[in-house]
Amino acid sequence: MRFQIERRAEPSSFMRFGAPVYATFSTLVVSSIMFALLGHNPADTLFAFFITPLMTINGISEWLLKASPLILIGCGLAIGFRANVWNIGAEGQLVIGAVCASGVGLFYPAPESTLLLPLMVIAGMAGGMVWAAIPAFLRARMNTNEILVTLMMTYIATLLLSLLVHGPWRDPDGYNYPQTALLPDAAMFELFDPMYRLNTSILITVVAVFAMWFFTERSFFGYKMSVGGAAPLAARYAGFKQSRSIWVGLLISGGLAGIAGMAEAAGPLGQLSAQISPGYGFAAIIVAFIGRLHAVGIVLGGLLLSLLYLGGEAVQLSLGLPSALTSIFQGMLLFFLLASDFLIFYRFTPSPKPTKGGVT
Amino acid sequence: MTNSSRREFLKYSAAAGAALGSTSLSNLAMADEVLKVGAVYVSPVSEIGWTKQHSLGVDAIKAALGNKVEVTTIDSIFKPQDAERVFREMASSGNKLIFGTSFSHGTPMQKVAKRFPDVAFEHCAGIKHTKNLGTFEAKYFEGTYLAGVAAGHVSKSAKIGFIGGFPIPDIVGPANALLLGAQSVNPDMTCSVIFLNSWFDPGKEKEAANTLISQGCDVICSMTDTATGVQVAGQKDVWSIGYASDMSQFGNGKHLTAFTLDWSSVYVNAAKSVATGTWKTSERWQGLSEGVVKMSPLNTDIPAAGKAEVKKAQAAIIAGSLHPFAGEVKDQADKVRAAAGGTLSTSDIRGFNWFVKGMVGKLG
Repeated sequence: MRFQIERRAEPSSFMRFGAPVYATFSTLVVSSIMFALLGHNPADTLFAFFITPLMTINGISEWLLKASPLILIGCGLAIGFRANVWNIGAEGQLVIGAVCASGVGLFYPAPESTLLLPLMVIAGMAGGMVWAAIPAFLRARMNTNEILVTLMMTYIATLLLSLLVHGPWRDPDGYNYPQTALLPDAAMFELFDPMYRLNTSILITVVAVFAMWFFTERSFFGYKMSVGGAAPLAARYAGFKQSRSIWVGLLISGGLAGIAGMAEAAGPLGQLSAQISPGYGFAAIIVAFIGRLHAVGIVLGGLLLSLLYLGGEAVQLSLGLPSALTSIFQGMLLFFLLASDFLIFYRFTPSPKPTKGGVT
Repeated sequence: MTNSSRREFLKYSAAAGAALGSTSLSNLAMADEVLKVGAVYVSPVSEIGWTKQHSLGVDAIKAALGNKVEVTTIDSIFKPQDAERVFREMASSGNKLIFGTSFSHGTPMQKVAKRFPDVAFEHCAGIKHTKNLGTFEAKYFEGTYLAGVAAGHVSKSAKIGFIGGFPIPDIVGPANALLLGAQSVNPDMTCSVIFLNSWFDPGKEKEAANTLISQGCDVICSMTDTATGVQVAGQKDVWSIGYASDMSQFGNGKHLTAFTLDWSSVYVNAAKSVATGTWKTSERWQGLSEGVVKMSPLNTDIPAAGKAEVKKAQAAIIAGSLHPFAGEVKDQADKVRAAAGGTLSTSDIRGFNWFVKGMVGKLG
């Protein structure tokens, strides 16, 4: 029997919001089989993966610390994605944000000033926005593909960073190694507790999540952008300008990615080196989609992805499982999520028998 | 450690608590205590390469201390943010000796070491050491100098191709020594350099090797974490020089030699001294004479005179009568950096950010 794919007339909204749950559940089932095949007790392994990382205050601090940039960037990206504006280059905007902010932090004439940190936030945001403005201009004016441009701008950004830390910004006391001097204390976010690494930059993420929720769910412009994404022709008919969405989508996502980069530099890093982002800009794309481009979902998605990283390390440390496992886990989760997504909107039905000689 | 359970986790937590309670390294000297050692790798352990050689050091600890030691390792930790978390996790779960194996682990280790004053930290490729953070590094340049001597004897085009991970002093210095070794045989030798800005990017490395070979280089040396340079050279029938591990199996008979790294003495000494409570922070910079840098067997196709000269130079370096950076050393702009009769200073060598005369290419 052959099947064909058919669009469902009315996708169930219950299923739609349940999809991440099913995807997570399927991931758990398949990964349990995988663990069993590797010779580990699935229950113990899952416990080590998902529970042990969160059993200490330090673990929770690390969990939030890693989730924060993912959520922050994810919020910005989702605003664009809702309007069909595909910013794939948050990684580059993050790098530029970190570069601009660290530039201020390293060279501001008054390193003790309490103004330093706010200035760095502004510099980081502005840097990310400028980096995103280039593809926005090219898309709005010349209709270039922003997916390609934002992605290519990422490579330029990382090379620019490399150029700076190998050259003019290199720490004069650092044996010519490619890293800057440490940022002054006033340039660092305050820690909640000196024993743990979580810092006050997470408050920016909290504000951003609320702002993003308000923008997408309660503001007229956010609504216009969503309509423009879902039904571009209808939006044009209603007189909504598409170029506006492009600019807003890219500038907001770029600005937030820039702040995320700034918060890395002024938080866990404390200096610039040639590699500063553990791929947050790309992982945030996954977060935005796991979160169904919705503020609450993105928070959950960011927390989940962060936990996957920590869990991957935990099972390596405690059970000696390979690091590739984390990647398999993430890949599986995304696969199941996309699959359940697909099945929400489409279904398989048996193909009608081709009639003899007829046109099908 | 492959068998763990929830109960063991609780044990670790208890150990972590105890670790925070204890005050000095000498507490560890208790005879029947099992020493917990952690090691953080930048990449997965494969057949050859940088991380493989570190894993051999860890294996040497296991072999030397047997059931007196319990080792935990984690791989693919490169970015500073992740590294700090992992070092902290290791220190708080009872490991008394923790190895970091990459320059990028430096700043995170300095931060964590401050918080765990009763844990000994050892940082490979590190530049800053503190009360409980020691550093160790190999004199790669001694190995590349000898490989350069061999290259000088086989190269027909008088051109060497060098592929580096990053333009950092630990790569720039060895590249310089490679050429100086070759020039000791043939003063007209030159060396073209390509940096990948990655330790592990076989695609880019293959492209780089092909570019160098098409420019006429007939000896390829790669300081990355793959055997790609050696492989491509073998396919194109030009000579190659292996790094970190013996890579002759990939060289298609054209593997001249490799300058390999053997960290086992460093690992074992550190573990033993922590176990006996005598560990002290120190800075080690070791090469051929300490056995940290070793040359793999020379290719049998190298002319006898060449082989003899490599052996002679090796003995002279070990004896201290030959220094790869002995003057006169000139840079690319013809400026004299070490006068005849002198030698580049340690800080010059550890902080290399310039190329010697005859190098083709730019830094960064």
